[in-house]
Amino acid sequence: MSPEPEPLVALVGNPNTGKSTLFNALTGLRQRVGNYPGVTVARKSGQCDLGPAGRVELVDLPGLYSLAAASPDEQVVVDALTGRISGDRRPDAVLLVVDATNLLRNLFLASQVAELGVPMAVVLNQADVAREQGLRIDVGLLSRRLGGVPVVLASAWKGEGVSEVRRAIAQALADRRLAVRATWPAPVAAALDEVTAALRSDLGVEPTAAEAQRTLFDAAGSTAVRFGWTGPRRDLVLRSARDKVRRGGYNPFAAEPLAHYAHLRVLLEGVVEEGGAARSASAAVDRLLLHRLLGPVLFAAIMLGLFASVFWLAKFPMGWIQDGVDLLRGYIAPKFAATPMLQSLVADGVISGVGAFLSFLPQILILFLFVGILEDSGYMARAAFIMDRLFSWCGLSGKSFVPLLSGFACAIPGLLSTRTIEDPKARLATAFAVPFMSCSARFPVYALMCSAFIGPVYGSGWESAAMVGMHCVGLLFAVPVAFILTRFVLRVRPQPFVLELPRYQLPKPRDVLWRMWQNAAEFVSKAGTVIFAITVIVWALSYFPRDPAVADRARTAEPSLTGEALERRVQAAYVEQSWMGRFGKAVQPVFDPCGFDWKITVGVLASFPAREVIVSTLGVTYSLGEGAEADSGQLRTAMQSARWQEGPRAGSPIFSLAAVLALMVFFALCSQCGATVATLAQETGGWKWAFASFATMTVLAWLAATGVYQAVIRFAPPA
Amino acid sequence: MNVEAVIVSACVGAAFGWLVRRWIAAARRRRDGSCAGGCGCADKVGKGR
Repeated sequence: MSPEPEPLVALVGNPNTGKSTLFNALTGLRQRVGNYPGVTVARKSGQCDLGPAGRVELVDLPGLYSLAAASPDEQVVVDALTGRISGDRRPDAVLLVVDATNLLRNLFLASQVAELGVPMAVVLNQADVAREQGLRIDVGLLSRRLGGVPVVLASAWKGEGVSEVRRAIAQALADRRLAVRATWPAPVAAALDEVTAALRSDLGVEPTAAEAQRTLFDAAGSTAVRFGWTGPRRDLVLRSARDKVRRGGYNPFAAEPLAHYAHLRVLLEGVVEEGGAARSASAAVDRLLLHRLLGPVLFAAIMLGLFASVFWLAKFPMGWIQDGVDLLRGYIAPKFAATPMLQSLVADGVISGVGAFLSFLPQILILFLFVGILEDSGYMARAAFIMDRLFSWCGLSGKSFVPLLSGFACAIPGLLSTRTIEDPKARLATAFAVPFMSCSARFPVYALMCSAFIGPVYGSGWESAAMVGMHCVGLLFAVPVAFILTRFVLRVRPQPFVLELPRYQLPKPRDVLWRMWQNAAEFVSKAGTVIFAITVIVWALSYFPRDPAVADRARTAEPSLTGEALERRVQAAYVEQSWMGRFGKAVQPVFDPCGFDWKITVGVLASFPAREVIVSTLGVTYSLGEGAEADSGQLRTAMQSARWQEGPRAGSPIFSLAAVLALMVFFALCSQCGATVATLAQETGGWKWAFASFATMTVLAWLAATGVYQAVIRFAPPA
Repeated sequence: MNVEAVIVSACVGAAFGWLVRRWIAAARRRRDGSCAGGCGCADKVGKGR
C-alpha cells in the first residue's frame, strides 16, 4: 500500500511579494529570486517541515494579480488551485503571500482565492518595510475579520517570522477554516446562479463558486473552454447572465472587482494605522533615476561604470589564470615529447583551447556580481521603466522587459519568461526579440577582442565604451525588427505598461553571491564538458591529415628560413592543409567582405552550436598555426601578431580595428546558439518562427559586420 | 596503427560520441516539454517539478 501523500500547500500572491524568497526559506531550496516581478513563470515544489505537524509539499506558483487568467503563467496558477493540472492534486491549503505595505490591492487576490473554498493562511510579507514606513497592522483583527484564518507578519528576505509561517500552515491544515467571502449584489448573484445551473445541467458536474464566477466574469472565456463547455448554448447562457448583471446597473466585467473591493474596504477598516512616515527617500531617488532626460544618461553611466569595473578588476586574476595556463602548458608539453601527436592534442588542443575559455572566468564572476547587486537593489526594474519608451515605440508590451532582461544573461530563461505575456502576438514578437539581447555567452568574445585590440591601442575608456556599445547593438537591432514585426507582420495591439516598481533594498550578499557562484559553476562546467569536447574535435580537424609532403613543400618554398621560423612556417602549412583549413578557406570568400580570414571563418562556423566556442577554436587554430612561436600560449599574443599571408591585404594585420569591430558586431547579432533556436521552436509551437529568427539574425549579422568593416576601412584613420 | 594514434583516436571519438549523446538527450528533453538548453535555466524557471 502506498503511503498517504503529504498535504499539498500552494504559495500564491501578487508578483514581487517575495513568494520565492519565502519558498526558499521554508523548503531550504534555491529557487531563483529577483527584485522585479515575473521571475517565477512556472510551478516549482519542495518539502516544508512543520515540526510536530509533519511535512507538507509546498508549491511555488507564478505571481498574479487576479484569478482572471490571461497569460499562460497565470493559467498555471488557476489550474493548480483548481486541481486541473494533469497528475496533480488540488491543494489542501493556500498560503497567500501579501505585501504588507499594500494590503488593499494584495488582498483582492485573497478575496478571489476565498471563493475557491480552500483553507487559507495569510502571510503579510515585507513587514520590515511596513514598519519602516510607519504602518501598524493589527494582525489579530485582520485574522478575525477574515473568519479566523491564520494571519502572520513576516519578512522572508530577512528570515523573520518564518517559524510563525510554518505554524500558520499547520493551523490552516488542522482547522481547515475558510476565509470570509465577498457578498455579491443581487443581480450578480442571480447571474451566477444561472451560470451554475447551466454548468450543472449541461456538464453534469457541480461547479464550485469560483468556477461559476470565472465562467461569468472572464471575458476571454478560457474557464468555460477548459470545462469543455462550448457551443451556442454556452454563449446563450453567458449572454443572458451578463445581460442580467447589466440590467442590475453593473458592468459584467467590472462587477467582480467592485464587489471584492467593497468587501475589502469594510474588512480592512481599523486594521492598518498609518504612522505618517513617508516613502519620500525612495520617491526622491526615483525622481532622479526615472527623470525623462537624466534617467537614460544615468543608466548609460551605470552601465559604462559596470563594464569599466569588470575590465579593471578582472585584469589581474585573468593574468594569473593565463600565467597558470602557460605554466601548465610548459610543464605538460615536454612530458609528451616522445609522442608529438598526443603532445599537440594536450598542449595545443586541450590546454590552449580550454585555457583560453577559462581565462574569462574572473570577468564573468565580476559581471554577475554587479548585475546581481543591480537586480537586488531594485534598479533593474527602474531600467525597465526607462527602456519602456523604447519598447512602446516599437510595439512591444511593457511585460517584454523581464524576458528581454533575462535575455542579457541567457536567452533560454528569457524565452521561457515570455509566458507572462497575455497577448500571443506580443509574446511571439518578444520571443523573436529576446535572442538579440547580448547574452553572457557573447561576453568572452567581446572581452577577448576589447582587451586584445581596443584597450591596448585606444585605452581602457574605449575598451569599456566598446563593451557597452556591443551590448546595445543587439537592442538597437531588436527595436526596428520588433517594430516591423509588431506593426506590419503580426499587427500587435499596443499594450499598457504594467510593471510594478519594487522597493529599493540593500542587496542580500548571500543571494548575490549564490547567483554569482551558480553562473561561475555553469561557466566552469561548460569549459570542462562542451568546450572540452568541441576543442578536441576542432584540434583533430585542424591537425589532420598530416602529410609529410606538406612540410617538405613548406621547407622547399622558403629555403632562407631556418630554426624556429621554419618550424613556424611548417606548422602554419599543416594547419592550412588540414580539414578545418580546407573547409575554412572554401567558405572564407563568404566572410571576406566582413574582413574575416579563414581562421576567423572557422571560428565563426564552429560557433553556431554555441557562440563562446570561437574563443577555444581560435585558441586551438592559432596555437597550432603558430607552432614553436607560441611559447606564451596566450591567444591574444598570437592574434595580435597574425598577418594576412596573401591577397591585396598581404602583410597587414588580420585583426585590424575594422575586423575586430566587424567580428564583435557579427557575434552581437548572429543567432549562434542551438539551444536558443530549439527553445524558440518549443515556445512558439513550431520551427517556422525559430527558422525565421535564425535566418533574420544571421543575415542581419553578416550585413552589419560587412557594413562596419567596409565603413571603418574607408573612413576611420588607422590607429 | 601505433599506440599514440589509438589513444588520440579514442579521445576524439569519445568527445564526438559524448557531444552526440548530449544532443540526443537535449532533443528528448525538448520533446518532453522541458528546457533543452545546457545553461541550467531549468533550475531557475522549471516547467514542472
